[in-house]
Amino acid sequence: MEMKYFDLIKPGTNHDFIKYRRVAVVGSLIANMLVLFGAIVWPRLNYGVDFAGGTELQIHFKKPAEPGDLRDVVSKLGFGEPTVQRYGNEKENQFLVRVERIALLTHEKADAVKTAVAQALVGLKSFRFDPEVGDKLDFTFKEPVDESALKAVVEKAGTPVKEVRSLSAREGQDREYTVITQGPSDKIGSALREKYGQDQVEVVRTDYVGPQVGKQLRIDGILAVLYAMGMILVYVGFRFDFRFSPGVIIALVHDAIITLGFFVISRHEFNLTSVTVILTVVGYSVNDTIVVYDRIRENAKRHKGKPLRDLINLSINEMLGRTILTSGATALSLVGLLIFGVGTIWDFAAAMLVGIISGTYSTWYIASPMTIWIEEHAAQRKAIEAAKPKAKKQDTPAASAAR
Amino acid sequence: MDRAWYWKAGFILAVTLLSAYALVPTVTYFRLPPQVRNESSVFEQARPKWAPARHLNLGLDLQGGIHLVMGVEVDRAVREKAVRRAEEIQAELERKNLKGIEVRGDPDTGIVTVSGPDIGKAKDLVSDEYTDMYVRKVSGDSFELAMKDDAVKQLKESAVDQAVKAIRNRVDKWGVSEPTIAKRGDASILVQLPGYSDPEKAKELIGKTAQLQFKIVDDTDTSLTQLKDLPPGVTLDWDRYTGAGDATVSSPFLRSKDRAALEQYIKDKAPKDRELAIGKIEDRIKGEVVYRTYLLDKRQGMTGEYITDARVAFDQAPGEGNRPYVQITFNKTGADLFGKLTKENVKRRMAIVLDDTVDSAPIIQSEIPGGVCSIHLGGLKAINEVLQEAKDLALVLKSGALPAPVRILEERSVGASLGPELIRRGSLSAIIGLLAVLVFMGIYYRFSGLVADVALVLNGLVVLAIMAAIDSTLTLPGIAGFVLTLGMAVDANVLINERIREELKTGKAIGAAVKTGYEKVFWTIFDGHVTALVAGFVIRAYGSGPVRGFATTLIIGLLASMFTSIVVTRTVVEWFVGHGRLHKTVTF
Repeated sequence: MEMKYFDLIKPGTNHDFIKYRRVAVVGSLIANMLVLFGAIVWPRLNYGVDFAGGTELQIHFKKPAEPGDLRDVVSKLGFGEPTVQRYGNEKENQFLVRVERIALLTHEKADAVKTAVAQALVGLKSFRFDPEVGDKLDFTFKEPVDESALKAVVEKAGTPVKEVRSLSAREGQDREYTVITQGPSDKIGSALREKYGQDQVEVVRTDYVGPQVGKQLRIDGILAVLYAMGMILVYVGFRFDFRFSPGVIIALVHDAIITLGFFVISRHEFNLTSVTVILTVVGYSVNDTIVVYDRIRENAKRHKGKPLRDLINLSINEMLGRTILTSGATALSLVGLLIFGVGTIWDFAAAMLVGIISGTYSTWYIASPMTIWIEEHAAQRKAIEAAKPKAKKQDTPAASAAR
Repeated sequence: MDRAWYWKAGFILAVTLLSAYALVPTVTYFRLPPQVRNESSVFEQARPKWAPARHLNLGLDLQGGIHLVMGVEVDRAVREKAVRRAEEIQAELERKNLKGIEVRGDPDTGIVTVSGPDIGKAKDLVSDEYTDMYVRKVSGDSFELAMKDDAVKQLKESAVDQAVKAIRNRVDKWGVSEPTIAKRGDASILVQLPGYSDPEKAKELIGKTAQLQFKIVDDTDTSLTQLKDLPPGVTLDWDRYTGAGDATVSSPFLRSKDRAALEQYIKDKAPKDRELAIGKIEDRIKGEVVYRTYLLDKRQGMTGEYITDARVAFDQAPGEGNRPYVQITFNKTGADLFGKLTKENVKRRMAIVLDDTVDSAPIIQSEIPGGVCSIHLGGLKAINEVLQEAKDLALVLKSGALPAPVRILEERSVGASLGPELIRRGSLSAIIGLLAVLVFMGIYYRFSGLVADVALVLNGLVVLAIMAAIDSTLTLPGIAGFVLTLGMAVDANVLINERIREELKTGKAIGAAVKTGYEKVFWTIFDGHVTALVAGFVIRAYGSGPVRGFATTLIIGLLASMFTSIVVTRTVVEWFVGHGRLHKTVTF
């Protein structure tokens, strides 16, 4: 029967992957270290509000605006140095403005408000201000007070108010009021409207994440990844051999870090969606490594007595076509996202592409060499162990007899 | 073709048809204009009657809406409880004739200090009576009490439950479809309102303290029977119960499945000094919610601000077992008002109204003096049903009394203009990506590439159908999970086809090559999928929010992929290989 088909890789290709393992491992190690250094020490990840906490606004301008001007307007408001990014292409006039979360009210300011309220309104029983919350003042009065009067007094003391909420209202009990002061989004919105005109600025979206939530999300994310790795380690050890597990995990960590590198270098925002990209890459990388390992296992049965080094090389070469095809097809499915995606979607696709390339590379040059290294290490230990018991026997015959 | 093949083919056909059936409401949902499709009544009307009710939901990131995380100030609930407790202890000691002892609860620490002469006796009495507290410190003529740890834990939990109940009540009232209101581990509540766009209004409605009222139901007025122009879907019904002098009271009310229509219609229909309020009837068996009216007397009633506690207690009627009921405790003023209200209205119904919605309307059996009131529920229902009802009611009453204050921890609003834009681009990109892969597979493998394409499309169909059937939500991270699944499904088919090519090169006949190919590759694909599945389950268990959405899609996608890329393609290929004339078309 005559069969014709495209072959990406000529049958019988024999590329020596193992030869370059030292260069590859050292190179990857350096790259990983650099990314980790970049992510943790300098210049650090550009954390989105998901993780850093703070307020993020997506602002749409009717007329073209310059990011520089925008930054000037916002930085004058006293929220520290804002991050301003263009969102989508230039014609859309959309920007992401992010400010750090800082205590909006200081103790002094809060005390000034308290004094003013105590003077202006009767029956103030207690006052509470928590700098951790930062934008909220709690008042307790013996008698009901007029909410608008309370608002007026607080504003007169120099603190713009967003709203006054009355909390409990039980007969014969104290009346409580919570004064919410204006937050960054109100202030940024009104400052921009003042500069660009009332109907020129539209705040499309506001994200606000408190500091505890940001921290919790970060811990959750890290825990999820760590547990997942642990379980994979166990599964691979159970299905293949525990000698193979470290290779899978190291390749997986390598790919996760390289993908992180995309966010370090591009300075694009690192948020919860970025975490899902890394998880996707991890899943993909594991699959890739497993497929090659499976072939190694099969070849080990077929070619008994062949050194592991040759087995691995043979297996990688046999799977070369498949690996390139699969990576290519997955990369192809990202094409649409890369062309039409904006903001988060584009970042997602680009980081994924980096992860796929890294995943393919790590299967060839990291996971398999790791297995060889572990094998050699184990062989060495075995040799030492084999030499040891003899020596032991002579030293302590009683101990070995007890065994 | 052997028998097993026909079974497989039949199964595949069944899965395909079932998936298509499950996706009918989703198609209906997406064909409705985005402004109205989140209103349950609009969707219900548009959905074909024979189709299932569940459709695929879009996450907030895809359709816009509001995402709030509310922190419940549970510590404050505990501290306030201590202050109230101090008052109770003081009263109790006075009742027991222990004079001159001062009990003070510190509103900042939640510690109760008891001081005065003869505190030894007071200490014994307190530790016997209030078992949820322990003596923290004794010094000379005073001692300090604090809540026990498990009591504190319970208190905190119930504070969060109360807040959840109160919030759900309010959100239900606006008719937002598919809201998410979930308790989270750290005493916070997640609220997601898809398709809702005014964060200020949402915060105002959610953050305010619930309003609880007791009102008397007027069952003598029959003016509702005079109404001749009932709109479609609104019907007249009757309440019947045993009233004063064992006479049967029959009272008319209106009912409808559509709250908005009912509300609209009853405007201005109430007689003088009366008002028509709406209540909810939940039919748990049918899974239906029906709304009904109550005619309330505007002149009589009191608010729930006097309630100090509400809890579930049990009757100990001999022979009948323990029947749960709800016990409410009022403060002094409340006790007087409630005594008067109940005395004047014995054998009539009293409506418990939370935020304008009648929660229930039990019959007042006798005057209730002393500030403690019991509400007995549904005489004929099963005990566990009554217990649930009692728990709910106690929660409502307490919620109205005072939930611990809630604070907004996290707030996101996705503007309406962002949602459609994102989804348009997102779906366009996904379609282009999918098409690119399909075309590539077709060109590279020709026949078996096309078979793999069919499997990929079926994979997508099955994943969406399962997601719709389990009522899950599609988010951007979910699409990420879908892309990964797609990649792995393609990989499975590449592996299979490459393997069959290898087998063919060794000179095997096509049928044998297909058989060995699939068998050899099965475990490879299995291992790859299971490892990814393991990761998926772990992420789902430990991750939060969007990361979980990713894991859900990934898990469903991987399961579907194992089916489509192995079983489906093999069944199709076997059919072609098995037919002498056709097997020439088979290429790998």
